[in-house]
Amino acid sequence: MGKKLKSYLVAYGLVFPAFMVVMLSVTYPIITAVMQSFQDEKTGEFTWGNYVYFFTEESQRNNILFTLYVCVMTVVIAIFVAYLLALYLRFVKSKIAKTIGTLYLLPRFVPAMCAVYAMITIIRDSGVINRIGLHFGQDWTLGLMYHASGMIIMNLWFNIPFAALMITAGLGAIPDSIIEGARDVGATKWQVFTHMILPLSIKDVVIAGTFVFMTNVGSFTTPYLMGGNSPKMLGIALFDQFNKYMKWNRSAALSVIMFLICSVSAGVYIYTNLKEKEWEV
Amino acid sequence: MFKMLNPCRFYHAVGRKKFFEFILLAVFILFFYGPLLNMLMLAFADTYEVPAVIPQEWGVKWWQYIFGKDALVSSIIQSFVVAIVTTCVSMVLCIPAAYSIARFKYPGRKLFMLSFLLTNAFPKLGIYTSIAVLFYKYGLMGTYPGVVIIHMIHSMMFMVWLPASAFRAVHRQQEEAARDVGAGPIRTFFKVTLPLAVPGIAVATLYTFLGSMEEAQGTMLVGLAKVKTMPVTMYGIVLDSTAVQIGAVFAIILIIPSAFLIWVMRKYIGPEAIAGGFKMK
Repeated sequence: MGKKLKSYLVAYGLVFPAFMVVMLSVTYPIITAVMQSFQDEKTGEFTWGNYVYFFTEESQRNNILFTLYVCVMTVVIAIFVAYLLALYLRFVKSKIAKTIGTLYLLPRFVPAMCAVYAMITIIRDSGVINRIGLHFGQDWTLGLMYHASGMIIMNLWFNIPFAALMITAGLGAIPDSIIEGARDVGATKWQVFTHMILPLSIKDVVIAGTFVFMTNVGSFTTPYLMGGNSPKMLGIALFDQFNKYMKWNRSAALSVIMFLICSVSAGVYIYTNLKEKEWEV
Repeated sequence: MFKMLNPCRFYHAVGRKKFFEFILLAVFILFFYGPLLNMLMLAFADTYEVPAVIPQEWGVKWWQYIFGKDALVSSIIQSFVVAIVTTCVSMVLCIPAAYSIARFKYPGRKLFMLSFLLTNAFPKLGIYTSIAVLFYKYGLMGTYPGVVIIHMIHSMMFMVWLPASAFRAVHRQQEEAARDVGAGPIRTFFKVTLPLAVPGIAVATLYTFLGSMEEAQGTMLVGLAKVKTMPVTMYGIVLDSTAVQIGAVFAIILIIPSAFLIWVMRKYIGPEAIAGGFKMK
């Protein structure tokens, strides 16, 4: 029994410092923010006012809806494209597939700001697409800057490679033998897909989708450089509340609202992640 | 050679399947690498007026302009100092935690693992504003320790989960073999387990370092105007400047460290290594 106790002590000792950092620098601030969000700015008394503001003020409510729209669109398109790309990378063994398989890893390591800036040089109204159009006598005014579509395009740039990576890793775990087995007994390609590949990879799809959603709710760099003034993404709205207007209690309330939006998908993420098979433990 | 430029001829020459693969490759490269290549070109454009797609005049005028500003040189130094300190502190804290989570079984293991998800599951800016309120209280605003804490949180999850999945991938039998021939637990760890887990740890370290190099929102919020890393300086330059080339030059400077490190670590960067950072097991 002494040996088991000793191994417990070692295990807790190793994990404790990092855990304390998370507790002190993430959990504790979040708890204080939650408390602050219910306090009146001047008197410090209990109030719902900070929350009421974000749901009754027209512009603030639009910000929330706008953020949800951008995030949901990003998730849906990114996951769909990424799934097709992942299927291609998993089942086609050609030189081109190999090339794409290497190239799609890199966007994750490009600093976000560089990528956003690079995309701006293409899609702004006097950007490359517009200039190419001028050479053919067309004046395309894309209107993508300061608009939701521009931000969604940018989010796709960031998230398609990531989602494809997660799904490819999941598809890679499906052995060729079971697919061949199904084909041998007469299953069509479509049946193999709906009965085997899709169910076996759905977990990774959910993980990728929820993660994409969570990272985009609080995104900052893209809307800061590309977004318009109204409606704003919540990340920018929060930054303004905190930095420009110095309304700490309101910004605490907005943080909590963002946490709550994320917690739905965080819950799905955790549930899917923990639903593991016994032999994998 | 040139007759291959005719799509019809190309189609018949390589066959239908290959043809569509080439189209996929072209779309992929245009979307993911086109913007970056365009930016690289703009960085060396002295004159770039509408409607030219290719700059009218080439040169390094804008590089001289940027390097003539003191703010840039000091921001490069600050960025590297912060990134190196963040990476070292993060490794010391997180790798033991990763080992503990991967190798020991104890009550609360899943809870520890989930606690690291907190840093990524919630909108970063929400966490940062909550922290900033506390930082004001304890005088950490505008200081290096404050910025380092923010940067550490930024990539903590990967720094725990990626090495954890790498440690788990090391076969227990190998460790047991080392123990059987008389190596102690510490020697086994440093001579057997750690070297085998190096690829995962390398990718995690790369993530932390690059994450710190590109982190802008938290640094801007917590560093006030006193700690100005490269991305923060770039926000200022990009939003103030009228010439698109200034941003392009700065973005290229920002990208160089990532490009260099990815090249150095290219053999470790693979889909499995990256995907491991997003799954709990």
